Amino acid sequence: MGCLFCYSTTCKLYFLLYNIFDMENLSDTIVAISTGSTNGAISIVRLSGKNAIEIADGLFESAKHKKPSALPARYLELGKVKTKGFVEQAMCVVFRAPASYTGEDLVEIQCHGGLKIAHGIVEECISLGARLATNGEFTKRAFINGKMSLASAEGVMDIINAESDAQVRAGYNLLSGGLSKIASEAQDELTDLMSEIEVSFDYPEEQIEYITKANTKQRLKNLSDKLQKTLDTAGAGNLISNGINVLIVGKPNVGKSSLLNKLLDRERAIVTDIPGTTRDTIEDSFSINGIKVKIIDTAGIHDTTDMVEKMGVDKAKNLIDAADIVLFVTDASKPLTDEDKKIFDLIKSKQHIEIANKADISHNNSNKKAIVVSSLTGEGIEELKQEIFKRFESPNLVEGGVIITNERHKQALSVALENINNAIREIDCQTLDLISIDLKLAYSSLGEITGNTTGEDIIDAIFSKFCLGK
Amino acid sequence: MKNFDAIVVGGGHAGAEASLALARTGINTLLVTLTKESITFLACNPSIGGTAKGHLVCEIDALGGEMGKNADATTLQLRMLNLGKGPAVHSLRAQVDKNEYHRNMQKVLEHTPNLTILEDEGAEILTNNGEVCGLTTAHGKTFNCKAIVLCCGVYLNSRTITGEIIRDQGPAGFSNSKNLTKSLIDLGFEIRRFKTGTPPRLDGASIDYSKFEVQKGDTNIQTFSFLTKRAKPNTRVCYLGYTTAKTKQIILDNLDKAPMYSGVITGLGPRYCPSIETKIVRFSDKERHQIFLEPETNDNNQIYVQGMSTSMPMDIQHQMIESVAGLENAKFEKYGYAIEYDCINPLELYPTLESKKVKGLYFAGQINGTSGYEEAGAQGLVAGLNASLAIRGKEQIVLSRDNSYIGVLIDDLTTKGTNEPYRMMTSRAEYRLLLRQDNADRRLTQIGYNTGLVSEERYQIFCKKMQKIAKLKEKLSKTIAPSKELDEYLESIGEPPAPRGLTIDNLCKRANSDLWQANKKLKLFSGYSKAEVTEAGIDAKYEGYLRLQQQMIDRTKKLEEKKIPKDFDFSSIRGLRIEAIEKLNKIKPLSVGAASRISGVNPADITILLMHL
Repeated sequence: MGCLFCYSTTCKLYFLLYNIFDMENLSDTIVAISTGSTNGAISIVRLSGKNAIEIADGLFESAKHKKPSALPARYLELGKVKTKGFVEQAMCVVFRAPASYTGEDLVEIQCHGGLKIAHGIVEECISLGARLATNGEFTKRAFINGKMSLASAEGVMDIINAESDAQVRAGYNLLSGGLSKIASEAQDELTDLMSEIEVSFDYPEEQIEYITKANTKQRLKNLSDKLQKTLDTAGAGNLISNGINVLIVGKPNVGKSSLLNKLLDRERAIVTDIPGTTRDTIEDSFSINGIKVKIIDTAGIHDTTDMVEKMGVDKAKNLIDAADIVLFVTDASKPLTDEDKKIFDLIKSKQHIEIANKADISHNNSNKKAIVVSSLTGEGIEELKQEIFKRFESPNLVEGGVIITNERHKQALSVALENINNAIREIDCQTLDLISIDLKLAYSSLGEITGNTTGEDIIDAIFSKFCLGK
Repeated sequence: MKNFDAIVVGGGHAGAEASLALARTGINTLLVTLTKESITFLACNPSIGGTAKGHLVCEIDALGGEMGKNADATTLQLRMLNLGKGPAVHSLRAQVDKNEYHRNMQKVLEHTPNLTILEDEGAEILTNNGEVCGLTTAHGKTFNCKAIVLCCGVYLNSRTITGEIIRDQGPAGFSNSKNLTKSLIDLGFEIRRFKTGTPPRLDGASIDYSKFEVQKGDTNIQTFSFLTKRAKPNTRVCYLGYTTAKTKQIILDNLDKAPMYSGVITGLGPRYCPSIETKIVRFSDKERHQIFLEPETNDNNQIYVQGMSTSMPMDIQHQMIESVAGLENAKFEKYGYAIEYDCINPLELYPTLESKKVKGLYFAGQINGTSGYEEAGAQGLVAGLNASLAIRGKEQIVLSRDNSYIGVLIDDLTTKGTNEPYRMMTSRAEYRLLLRQDNADRRLTQIGYNTGLVSEERYQIFCKKMQKIAKLKEKLSKTIAPSKELDEYLESIGEPPAPRGLTIDNLCKRANSDLWQANKKLKLFSGYSKAEVTEAGIDAKYEGYLRLQQQMIDRTKKLEEKKIPKDFDFSSIRGLRIEAIEKLNKIKPLSVGAASRISGVNPADITILLMHL
């Protein structure tokens, strides 16, 4: 895919279009704190998309016990917002498509200031199916839905500027800003390398120490390593935008469904003490630290043969394959059985967390690695949540580093890396003018992230670095 | 008063090519020059070509211009620069006999039908309804015409500066042009002031060459012109030497006397061509700078001291030169000087080099803010040819970034502009591997032929060469049977043997292989010239990369092909930002691709533009 008009992935227009028509997630419902991350007296959480009103129904009720879907459009209603953690007074206003800022169904919830409440509402919305909005996404949608005049170029520019400004500001998405920094540092290094190479072409007779192939190769290798590391986080980035898929497995009656309920913080699965009560899989989602967690409970599975029998080999496998992490639940009050082991064999190659449930009864389980929880008392549940989160947290994120969340960025970075690796591979047997083609391609590919695709700075670099001329 | 179809003002490198392009395509042309003595005078270094400039010369030649032939005819020493760095950046440079170069070109101009040369100064451009209708000279003569090509070089209101001596003159003591600037201002042109400079010239007999390193020319390399059958043998050498700590000290001690630093010079100078005083100030950690001694002509012993461009006072220049080993007793023949001159802003031009303000008025060369003989010649050819096409009622040509360095040069000038004298560099070309010297004819000769500038003789030679290359390429898929000779050749280029043989194609792709050399040893085919074999060999060798560059071109083609009408009023588009409207209305790009390269025009503006076109 490239520019709609010229099919180039390096043209400025393509960069713009991609920013505006980043269509992949247009059908989602998005949510964000629209008042930013400051501690004002009130905060506004904005939800937009086709499920916005339905999601709002899940957490807001007016003083007259009306859900948002029953509220008239564009009237501010006082009521209560209910999340897992709190019930708070709040106001709600519903805009129905197309009469809204974004042109989609849009709900704004005004709540007391302080990030905790606003965050709680956002998390609740995420667990009800919304996705965290990317920066400038409300405005982008407004533009796409024709709410904002295309003819207003200032407006369009604002989108793009907002994107980068907001990246710096945003409390949530410190991610793309960091990526842009890495890409632009890589561009700087390429510019530097290219100026060293180019100066040898344009000024072959100067009294300069021209760059050697060996040196070029070493610097390219360093650059390649750095970009590869960044690219490796793309998986983690996907988790952030797509959520973490968690599968709960375990033999019957180890408390899988009650664990699910505890994690969701509400009654979802029917819980009985009769083994096999849950006859099918149950799916739901909640959020940990703002990251969506989709959870699947395989509850009513007697043993592995039963699991395969009930679901078919493929579905069982698919289910395990599709999971990002498997919660392997055992009964803390009883010793491990062969059945436990059979199930464990099925999932052991997969990223998993071992859980010893029913800690409230007793703790006889021999499994030392397991996290001990009680679905009844809530013991260990928070620890488990943080463990799940930790498994997907890149070390980079902790250090304020970078996770790639955007498929386009990932693509651009891989292409750049490929070009650089090609240069490394070819440099020993090819002349530098060919290597410079690879480097230019890498540079312009990185430009899709940074927005800088011009080559003029190479010439500037040449003149600022070298003493040249007659 | 006698009428001409077209008038060229200025007989330098741009003016000569412009005059020839007009006259050779049947346009009754007048060349007005201050003196015939200054026709294609090499006011600075006595050489033609060099990095990226060699490409320009080959392209001028491929389009039917004269520069390449003249350089070939007057060569003193020929070198191919960048030989180890790949065919895209191979750059031919010739030291030429500057007197011979001038005399030869003058002879060509004087013998060209349809061309009249007048020694006079262009003074006023006459217009009627925004169109050129004539020119008045300083001697008060008026000529009617349909087009004027201004190639005034560095002569407009120029002054030379050597220390405290400031003279109201052109380069090398030629008189300057005093009236045209006013005429241009009256027509509404923005006038800018640029600066350049030149080093001292020495008497070769007073130099101790034993203190210098000899630089010899290359043998058996290509010529600039596709018509030149054999390169002239090298008859002269150059010398390499260095400035000393003493040189540096002299300059630093006398900086207060340097016009560059005392505020006398206000014009914008080029970064790539700094004076020695600028080099020493800007790169103060460098202890020595290299200098080349280049022969100027066989007529006398004059030596050009490349690397010592300066506008220091004369006594300081003596001290500076004498501080160099081997130049202790050097006698000066000319002092270095800086020169300031008026030029226009090339953003006021269409990529045809016709001005946007006045129909029929073309600009070429240093008046457009460029530097260099080759850059000037290239523009002169394009401006002259387009003036001719316009007079003949034909569509003017715009060369593109993907078919020539000339296209890159003119696109840069007319869409990005320049804030310093613009020099062509290979780094400025995106599709360098496709824009080689060796294939300039393949890229441009057909275009030149279509416009009438390429002679039938040149065209036939070109067609024959293309046919032969095509034929040769068919043979490249042939497998070379394994042999001792083959393995020996492979070994000689440091490649592993081929026990089962290999195709010629794959032989080309082996590192360090050269089809011409390989064929000499292995006798793969016969009856092809070196140029033909080289070109076919390069195409085979770099097939993958060439395809990559072609893909890059194809991708951007759509935007380039999206044309914008010449008189399009961008303020009629609702929603364009004011800055974008101003830039677009000023530069008037002729394609969306060109619009997208204008600084200050954002992608958003381009989107809006596309929606309205």
